[in-house]
Amino acid sequence: MKNLMKISVLGFLVVFLFTSCAKQPTQQIDEAKAAIDAVVKAGGDIYAKDELKKLNDDYNAAMDEVNAQSKKLFKKYGKAKEMLAKVKADADSVAQLIPARKEEAKNNAIAAYDEAKAAFEAAKAILDKAPKGKGTKADIEAMKSDLAGLEAQLAEVQAAIDREDYFGARDKAVSIKEKANAISEQVNAAIEKVRGR
Amino acid sequence: MKLRKQIVALVGIIAFSLIFFTPGCKTPPAPSEVEQARLQEQALWGAGGSVFAPEEFQKYESSLAEARRALEREELKIGPFRNYGQVRENFRQVIKQGEQVESLIKSRKASLLLEIESSRESLYAKYEVLNNLSLQLNQRGYARPHLAQADILFKEVDRLLAGLRYEEARGRLEEISSLLKQAENILREQLKRYMDQGQIRQWRQMAERAIEKSKISGQTVIVISKLERTLTVYKAGQQIKTYQVGLGFNGLNDKLHAGDDATPEGEYKIIKKIGASKYGKGLLIDYPNEEDIKKFNEAKKKGYITSSTRIGGLIEIHGGGKDGLTRGCVALDDKEMDELFKLIPIGTPVTIVGTTDPNNKIIEILKPV
Repeated sequence: MKNLMKISVLGFLVVFLFTSCAKQPTQQIDEAKAAIDAVVKAGGDIYAKDELKKLNDDYNAAMDEVNAQSKKLFKKYGKAKEMLAKVKADADSVAQLIPARKEEAKNNAIAAYDEAKAAFEAAKAILDKAPKGKGTKADIEAMKSDLAGLEAQLAEVQAAIDREDYFGARDKAVSIKEKANAISEQVNAAIEKVRGR
Repeated sequence: MKLRKQIVALVGIIAFSLIFFTPGCKTPPAPSEVEQARLQEQALWGAGGSVFAPEEFQKYESSLAEARRALEREELKIGPFRNYGQVRENFRQVIKQGEQVESLIKSRKASLLLEIESSRESLYAKYEVLNNLSLQLNQRGYARPHLAQADILFKEVDRLLAGLRYEEARGRLEEISSLLKQAENILREQLKRYMDQGQIRQWRQMAERAIEKSKISGQTVIVISKLERTLTVYKAGQQIKTYQVGLGFNGLNDKLHAGDDATPEGEYKIIKKIGASKYGKGLLIDYPNEEDIKKFNEAKKKGYITSSTRIGGLIEIHGGGKDGLTRGCVALDDKEMDELFKLIPIGTPVTIVGTTDPNNKIIEILKPV
């Protein structure tokens, strides 16, 4: 009987040691958080918005698991550790995606800027060919003023690229290109009108 | 034998303890509503819950967090004692709340879109009015760079709206509004004389004086109205011909000095007929007259113009085309100039005014708010 008591205590002790003494996985928590922070810092909220949302959700789910286990008498953090390790691994993968996406957005913005600038220069060159000085057609004069507006907006595109707002820069550049092309067409029409007089 | 019994007992106790104290394979599955709520929360976030219904979305998130805590509490219980009834009910409530947030997001998005579209529409209407006015003025367009920028931003707004980027679109509309205000202010400043009833009365009196003179003397007179871009010939007080004309690059301004590209205002006369020039036939007027010289000297004295600035001259009514811009002369289409040339003798009075219309288009468009 005495032995049975000893064995029982020993048994409970073994169970206690295996289940209750598990520590919170603080190191994994910190690592997962740091990995998500790195994604944000790299521009994840712009270039990996959906992935970042999933990472945060997965992190919250892992933390829910940690909290749930911490309230239990017999704590098992194995699942939480796995979840946190996955969050970290996923975050690292997302962080690796961002530079390429950012680079792509930058290249697209620069290409759009170059196209807009080329369209602007083309319109300017056509305007330079238009009749000058006294007798200049009023509509050509108006288009010269319009080009001044375009030039101001082109500078805005460059400023947007400089502050790494690549999507904004691209949008503006595309609009400038459209307007510059429209001006070129109008100038050509005006020149034709002059020739036809 | 004794040791064997002890080992069996130890294993039995450990197994019993593990089964009894730890949740294991007996755990019933969590209600399906838990996963449903998770998916709903992601969808609401993706739809912009925190932007379009921040308060309601926050409340929803709190309810969801509370439901999850209740789930955790339930999961702490030993398998056989767990009852997910309340948990399921909690999550159902959360889902219902989420559905309300979803419909709120939809309606707010729709109303925001409506607001943006209506703002875009009204700004575009204003843009068109100013754009047309600046084109109709047929002179150097100081307001046009602002209008061209606004036009580019309108294109951006459309692209942003198509991509459901409402806040950015709203930002661009604010920029457009500011550009249009600047353009309007430039036009207002440039054209304020055309909205001044005292000035219009003075111009009207000048034109009436010329017509009266024609009536009394039977003489031919010319009245040029700059805003309307018309040159009207009167004989014995009767209007016999009206032509459309072009003016200087800054034709709506009153000429003050050489190189200002403005068309002079005042009472002049034809002093020379030029049979052939670069711009077809020409009728030279006696700019500067006494009044012009007086204005010029005053401006110089006040320092408005430099001491080396000259008053200019050689202002003509000539051919070359009514849709051309000049350095201050009045231009007609060649065919009409030929006709006018025949009609007008040397000494014909020429009165040039801004406008005689007290309800002119500039007042209509730029009337003070």
